[in-house]
Amino acid sequence: MFISLLKKELFIEFRSREVILSMLIFGLSIILAFAFTTNVSKIIVLNYAPGMFWIMILFVTTLGVHRSFTYEKNFDAFSLLISAPIDRGLIYLSKWISGTIFLTVMEIIIIIPFFKFLLLDLPSNFILFSVTSILINFAIMSVASLVAGISMRANLSEVLVPILFFPLVSPVIIAATKISSGVLFGDPYQLWQIWLLIIVSVIVIFPLAGYTLFDFITEE
Amino acid sequence: MQSFFYNKNNRLLLVLISSLLIFNIYNIISNTPMVPDQHWAQKIFYVHVPSAWVGFLSYLIVMIAGIMFFLKKNDYWDTVGLAAAEIGTLFIMLVLITGPIWATPIWGKPWIWEPRLTTTFILFLIYIGYFMIRSFGGHVERVKRYAAAIGIIAFLDVPIIFVSVQFWAPEIQSHPQVEMANQPSGILFPFLISLCIFTLVYFVMLKFRIHVIQLKNKVIYNV
Repeated sequence: MFISLLKKELFIEFRSREVILSMLIFGLSIILAFAFTTNVSKIIVLNYAPGMFWIMILFVTTLGVHRSFTYEKNFDAFSLLISAPIDRGLIYLSKWISGTIFLTVMEIIIIIPFFKFLLLDLPSNFILFSVTSILINFAIMSVASLVAGISMRANLSEVLVPILFFPLVSPVIIAATKISSGVLFGDPYQLWQIWLLIIVSVIVIFPLAGYTLFDFITEE
Repeated sequence: MQSFFYNKNNRLLLVLISSLLIFNIYNIISNTPMVPDQHWAQKIFYVHVPSAWVGFLSYLIVMIAGIMFFLKKNDYWDTVGLAAAEIGTLFIMLVLITGPIWATPIWGKPWIWEPRLTTTFILFLIYIGYFMIRSFGGHVERVKRYAAAIGIIAFLDVPIIFVSVQFWAPEIQSHPQVEMANQPSGILFPFLISLCIFTLVYFVMLKFRIHVIQLKNKVIYNV
């Protein structure tokens, strides 16, 4: 059943490209703003680049996850989905995994413009940067999907998602910035392994909480 | 349903906690030693630390009430959760006010991203979202479930936030009062008395607030 739900998410996105495209355009706009507001030396920008990258991801995730959940409201699709004889926790898991896939695809496209528009060189250890970023995407999306799942059917959901999401995801953002800085500056693994453990703990705790709570949250 | 203070026991409780609070202030001002390098600023810790303890205890109760609400489907647990969230946020605000008041003369600036205060501040922001969803969420029954879920994940997030903030800036000094148990008895005992009084005041406030919310629900929704 989980595979069917995941396929549904991927097919909808494959047809409309709404989520990835909106995240991508918004991401590019943020890079533009960063480029205009950081007209300083390359070394200073490089120091702030990991933080700027994850701030951008935070904003585009808010947009993407909100879009991903609100199209379920069209034609009351979500009510039909939760009335189906399926484990509702799987709806959360499918949203989490599909959201991570969309975010990763968007990052793959945007990473080169991000570094090039800020006049920076691409990370020398690009593979390690990508692998750690994918892991961080799982953590960010586990929190974002849960928050969006909670506030999706509430009034003012577009306001509530960032208000709840930003403080809840703060440990992930700290860890993400530290990991990316460590990778970017070639620090030894021992210096940033604690941050990887924080990311892994979020990947364990939030999906478990989301899977358990989603059944109660979506009750009619 | 009658007024909270219609009950004689509740009136006695009010008199008792009022007397204890006055005694606590007197005890802090006159029966605690003056710490040489901090002078009067140190006295705020007899209020600051118990407020933090009560705030976090209250958020723990919000989480427990959320779990019980999901398991028992009883509105009483939603009322407990809401009352605990309101009072918890009140005490957390007290922590966020008293912390910078102490820090200004001691550290020279009101805010230095000290891990405990930062964790408290992040939790406070999450609870602002909690109250927003309570106020503007719409459908009353759904909002109860959303609020219970937020109460649970907020408390689950606390240890992760604390660890990450602590490692984020390890050079930032922690409270000198972290080793409270190692303080001389002249400081420790008044502190423990203050802690007990604050806890007692908290439970009386919780009882009162639960009663008021139940009364309000009875008037508005007739449940």
